Amino acid sequence: MQIDVNEYKHENEYKELIENYAGKPESLLAIMQDIQKQYNYLPRLAISLISRHVGIPVSRVYAMASFYKAFSLTPKGRFVFRVCDGTACHIKNSETLLDQLQKSLGIKPGETTTDGMYSVETVNCLGACALAPVMVVNGKVYGKVSPGDLEGIIKEYGGQNHGYDNQGS
Amino acid sequence: MKIKLNGKEREAMPGESILELCKRENVPIPTFCYHQAFGGQGACRMCMVEVREEGQKEARLAAACTYLLNREAEVITESDRIQRIRRTIVMLLKRRAAGDPILKELADAYAAPDLEAVVTEPENCILCGLCIHACEEMGKSAIWSMFRGIDKRIATPYDEASDDCIGCAACARICPTHAISMEEKDSKRIIWNKSFELVACRRCGKEYATREEIEYLKERSDYGQENLCESCRKKTLAITVKNYI
Ligand code: SF4
Ligand code: FES
Ligand code: FES
Repeated sequence: MQIDVNEYKHENEYKELIENYAGKPESLLAIMQDIQKQYNYLPRLAISLISRHVGIPVSRVYAMASFYKAFSLTPKGRFVFRVCDGTACHIKNSETLLDQLQKSLGIKPGETTTDGMYSVETVNCLGACALAPVMVVNGKVYGKVSPGDLEGIIKEYGGQNHGYDNQGS
Repeated sequence: MKIKLNGKEREAMPGESILELCKRENVPIPTFCYHQAFGGQGACRMCMVEVREEGQKEARLAAACTYLLNREAEVITESDRIQRIRRTIVMLLKRRAAGDPILKELADAYAAPDLEAVVTEPENCILCGLCIHACEEMGKSAIWSMFRGIDKRIATPYDEASDDCIGCAACARICPTHAISMEEKDSKRIIWNKSFELVACRRCGKEYATREEIEYLKERSDYGQENLCESCRKKTLAITVKNYI
């Protein structure tokens, strides 16, 4: 497995988080959640350290990470824009929100801006259909979002349209 | 324990699966995900039969490979209902493995309608899971089923050459639809995006395994005779035994 040299800088941090749990298979999910929470994704080095610690092959740890939406295998931005694309939100034009985000940030769902600031994702029904279309940014919920609101919301997270156009395309 | 199998009284062992009983009695049942070494998985649903256990009013559909017989029952392996179910299953499996001759044959046999093919990765994979078992049995688990829903597929982590893979090809050999591609040329074997050096048998010269597999087996067992292919190993063993007696 090819591991980015940068990840080795964090090796001891990963290990510290991992060793909070007993080295047995039952610890797997909890460790993965802690790492995801701390780094917003599961670095390759962490996956291989987890595999060794709990005694589960790398393939199975990766399978687990790829199965659950709560885990990410690629680095996420500091701010993650989760746009609901459930039925209610879809009908209320969640897609135009995604289009607008792509215009403002230059990224499609699943992507991250090159400066590591923003990610855009789609999620299935967030359970707040009355507020459709719904968007969540790092845990903060925005309801009845219109494309025009997005600029203001991005600003809240530091983005002042500093040249995100045409990025990541 | 008495089982009425297609109208004939048969004797089954408690805990035996319907499929095992049928195999013993030479009653053919189509299967994909079953393998003697691992037993039934119930993944492909190709082996559906009708069962009515003692005391039940109606026959139920069940996967023969996972249904364990624990009391007297009646089993029917061919009926219109089963025919229909298998037709649907063949239709769906063939969609994923349109290029596989066995599925083509089955599709003809069951008059399964043609659906637009889906190109799977690896091609022709029906997700039976046998390769995962084979690799696990080797003690390697280099591959697993990744992602979910329509994206689900068998792969190595990150689709890269896996540190765990020893290129033994157990996965490719067990695959019922030959979906796992393996290329062998110039004394190299390429499988799962990893290239391995093939080693020739010391006696007959046939390239029989990868260097990694041989090393691995050596450290795992007392793999006595060095660098001999299976048939030469058996021959040497026979000679040793003969000299001994
Ligand atoms: S070739 Fe690699 S993936 Fe396939 S069974 Fe052998 S070790 Fe596992
Ligand atoms: S569909 Fe978006 S919150 Fe329910
Ligand atoms: S052989 Fe029984 S379900 Fe696949």
